Amino acid sequence: MVAIGDGVISQLRRGVLEFCVLALLRDDERYGFEIVRALSQADGLVTTEGTLYPLLARLRKEGVVETTWRESTSGPPRRYYRLTPAGRSLLTAFTGEWVRFRDSVDGLLETGALK
Amino acid sequence: MTTTTTLHPLAADYLDRVDRAARRLPRTERRELVEEISAHLHEATSLDMPDAEALTVLDRLGDPEDIVEAQQPDEPGGRRGVHEWAAIFLLLLGGFIFAFGWIAGVILLWSSRAWNTRDKLIGTLIVPGGLATAFVVALLTGTKRKCTSGPGHPTICTPGPGTAHQIIAIGLFGLCVIGPIFTSLYLARRAR
Repeated sequence: MVAIGDGVISQLRRGVLEFCVLALLRDDERYGFEIVRALSQADGLVTTEGTLYPLLARLRKEGVVETTWRESTSGPPRRYYRLTPAGRSLLTAFTGEWVRFRDSVDGLLETGALK
Repeated sequence: MTTTTTLHPLAADYLDRVDRAARRLPRTERRELVEEISAHLHEATSLDMPDAEALTVLDRLGDPEDIVEAQQPDEPGGRRGVHEWAAIFLLLLGGFIFAFGWIAGVILLWSSRAWNTRDKLIGTLIVPGGLATAFVVALLTGTKRKCTSGPGHPTICTPGPGTAHQIIAIGLFGLCVIGPIFTSLYLARRAR
């Protein structure tokens, strides 16, 4: 049996992860730990939670999310992330592309032919 | 860091390792990364937690080196490349090109993402001008002793600098040679 290279899966994961972060922020702002725990509960999406923090920093640098500090009832203030208008349109564009991509791949995998 | 005192000892140790691994990042990025990991540890662990549970949290976070690695995407100029080698070369020898070469080296040094602020300060201050400074020092300190001779009168030498002066001059020359060479090796090793 031929094994799938780890490289393929981790590249796929790396490619979509940032859009999963954006999707988590679509309706509400969240703080880092909340985002990380939500993503790591999804099966097969995250292998090391720690590397999500650099991803959040990069998204902020790219201007697709922005942050604010808010007081917390149970400890030190938390840095909350929310979508910027640029982030929202990026997410919408990706969602459309993703549906097309997923349907094509699913169709091929299931029937061996294009629908 | 004061907040580590409220962390589980294993978590505090882990945070220290993240902080150390993040030393190569720009200062703001390092601070923010450590803040986020610290916040995560405060949420996910507690002081009285069994070690095994704390270790599970740390395992899920992953190796500190991998986290810092993820902070540095492979972008051009982010690693040791032509830009960085040119900076090191010009800092060392650029002073011989009318001093402009050295200034170009400083500009390349500060515009690179391969070094943090401390590295850049060392690159700039040890020694301004690079090896060309040693050359200038040698010229300035070596021309103090003058001898004149002419027909009809014996060779007259004006007194050279005293021994103490000579030792200082040689020491200064030595520093101006060793300093830039040390800095080049240091920058080459630190760049990433």
